Amino acid sequence: MNARRTSLWVALVLALLGVSGALWRAHLRQEIRLARGDSLWRVRYTVDFTAEKRGARLQLAYPLDTARSRVFRQEVYHRGLTPARRPANQRFNREAEFTADRAGALRITAQFDIHVSPDSNWRAWGSAGTTNATTNVEAVVAATLRNLQPNPVTPSNQVALIFSYCSDQLSEGGAEEPADVATILARKSTPPGGKARVLVALAQAANLPARLVAGFELEAEDSALPRLWAEVFHDQKWQRYDPERGHAGVLPPTFVPVRRDGTELAWGAGVRDVHTAFSIEELPPPPGVLATGRRTIWEIFDLTRLPLEAHQVMSLILLIPLGALVTSLFRTVVGLTTFGTFTPTLLALSFVYADWRTGLFVFAVVLVLGLASRTFLERLKLLVVPRLAVILTVVVLCLAFCISLLDYSHLTPTPQAVLLPLVILTMTIERFFINMEEDGAPTALRRFLLTLLVACCCYLVLRWDTVGHFLLAYPEIHFVTIAVLILIGRYTGYRLTELWRFRDLARQP
Amino acid sequence: MKRAWAWPGELRRAGLLGINRRNLDLVLPHNPRVLFPRVDDKLQTKRLCEQHGIPVPRTLAVIERQGDIRRFVELVAAHDEFVIKPASGCEGRGIIVIAGRRGAGWLTSSDEVLTLDDLRYHLSAILSGLYSLGGQDDHAIVEQRIVRHPLFADLAVGGTPDIRVILYRGVPTMAMVRLPTKQSRGRANLHQGAIASAINLATGETFGGVHLGHTITMHPDTGARLAGRKIPAWDLILSSAIKLAGCLGLGYIGVDFVLDASGLPVVLEANARPGLAIQVAHNAGLVPRIELIEKTAAPSADLIARLASL
Repeated sequence: MNARRTSLWVALVLALLGVSGALWRAHLRQEIRLARGDSLWRVRYTVDFTAEKRGARLQLAYPLDTARSRVFRQEVYHRGLTPARRPANQRFNREAEFTADRAGALRITAQFDIHVSPDSNWRAWGSAGTTNATTNVEAVVAATLRNLQPNPVTPSNQVALIFSYCSDQLSEGGAEEPADVATILARKSTPPGGKARVLVALAQAANLPARLVAGFELEAEDSALPRLWAEVFHDQKWQRYDPERGHAGVLPPTFVPVRRDGTELAWGAGVRDVHTAFSIEELPPPPGVLATGRRTIWEIFDLTRLPLEAHQVMSLILLIPLGALVTSLFRTVVGLTTFGTFTPTLLALSFVYADWRTGLFVFAVVLVLGLASRTFLERLKLLVVPRLAVILTVVVLCLAFCISLLDYSHLTPTPQAVLLPLVILTMTIERFFINMEEDGAPTALRRFLLTLLVACCCYLVLRWDTVGHFLLAYPEIHFVTIAVLILIGRYTGYRLTELWRFRDLARQP
Repeated sequence: MKRAWAWPGELRRAGLLGINRRNLDLVLPHNPRVLFPRVDDKLQTKRLCEQHGIPVPRTLAVIERQGDIRRFVELVAAHDEFVIKPASGCEGRGIIVIAGRRGAGWLTSSDEVLTLDDLRYHLSAILSGLYSLGGQDDHAIVEQRIVRHPLFADLAVGGTPDIRVILYRGVPTMAMVRLPTKQSRGRANLHQGAIASAINLATGETFGGVHLGHTITMHPDTGARLAGRKIPAWDLILSSAIKLAGCLGLGYIGVDFVLDASGLPVVLEANARPGLAIQVAHNAGLVPRIELIEKTAAPSADLIARLASL
């Protein structure tokens, strides 16, 4: 069989493999999802507030993972605010901290996609460790507790009594009822969330570690309100109680905790008029989430199982082949010449890491200074490798000060944004310079612009989040990518640029 | 009005060979990678030619190590004219032509004065691979300067023209002469502004001319007519090219010759990926010729005549 036919067959087989693999995986996912009663939810935060001055801080509590629910994607928009690199409380909660870049009205919107899977046993956030019980107990609380003496005295019996007292003896009033525990116990009437407060106070009075939890019960709701429930530590673990809904010990999987030891989900210093709005919606079944309760080696084929923080990087990595595909198309089918084969892809990758404006800015500054230093070095007549190293050093220095400058002007620089383009830029500068000397500035400039053009196309592909997440869910699609690359590799037709270059040879029929 | 592009069908009708097809159908199957060093390293090409009695410019010195650069002055002491070139260079990069001495320094063919320091720097740049194909370490060749044949006095400005013959399966397929211009700064590279003029394979006579993609009939610098020049020793060029193709073992190559003052064709280098611009010079594609060679079982004298008539 000749190479052409073999290539066609290999491409066909790979494409079939990729498509059928993805279909099979989708089918498996669907089956597992249906069998397990999984569901997906999206919780949206809209936080409006006024910063009194520049540097005012706002804290935000993000939904926490439990054994049966976890956040698999989150997006936070914070115009005019700088997120802190290391937020304060990460032990029990996932708190983010933002510093206002200016005074005035500001808004943060955040969106969390949560996967609920009743049969899972994921690692829960902040379930280990206990908080200390409070020491000063109000008289009315102590008096109430005296009437709730279990027999025999065990923590679980004690909590059971407290729980039934809270759920049965207290009546539910409107939101206007006072929320402090003493008043509630005196009037036997609570506002929403009051029962959980009483339960925590009574449990702490009984010397059991207990804490109030603010969170969401996942139900489609345009204006959702956070609910309060309680966690009491006994029998070696935190047990959850919701006296309002009557859940003791274990909560339904749709109860997603957000903040422990606190009731506000957004709070801060130097801010006023903090107004929060929440909405919850159920998402249609996506391809991306597969839950497996049991651990098998096959799990390694499911990339979506990786922690949320890894998702972004993973999907970016999985997009790189598409960037290479774009470059191949441009070089083989269109016929554009660029500096280096994969320079455009790598450039685009670094633009994705930073936002493209930062990337382009850094790129331009480095290129100008790099070329200037290269021009100067030309007079010194250095050997190739030391010369490249000098340019690299100049580029490193430029980048360091670029980061500093960006930080000064609050452009949220990320150091990793500039790690990648370092060497690429250095090599590009050298290539550009040689090209300029050999073929003249117009040719070099044209080739440089073409490199940038292809990089922009790669950038558009690389920042295609939807596709990235899709590839994370179905990495076997890259078999199809390879198939397409093989077909491009066997393309013997004219390049688009040749249609122009050889136009004089055209023969009319 | 003339269109700025041609449809693929129109180019196919002209038998134009595109770069993808050249790579996939000619270079990949006929030029085994392992033989590439024979043409990529000009020293190896030269040695092969010398072994088989094909004339090449006389090698004056080979500089292999940075340490040898110190001895450069002694090496060229006996020569006023010479050429420095990287062994693995491409597209004429890194080549310096020295036409004489000027005080303590040298004069290039384009009347630039170079000091010893300039040459040393250039040599060490060559050795560290600045001009080599993959950027790997390289050798510098110092060789005899070929003085151009008087035929080209009014056709080549600032440099030496070269004659390229493309051979497929050892059969000369197409040929052209490349003429340097002011714009190409004495180099015979088409994309840098040199002129290409087609050569009739059977007669060795030039016809047509192309400058940066445009058809021309006169040399833009001298005004001399391009067509109708008979290349001296044309049969010798063809037989040398055939011989070289045979000992290189490559199925699709371009061989570059220069004619020295006495009319002797000297091989400069061979190329395993010869460019496609030769088709523009001929205003005809390579494909029909390639197909004819494939159909012909045994090459014969009249094959070249038939190729030339295509």
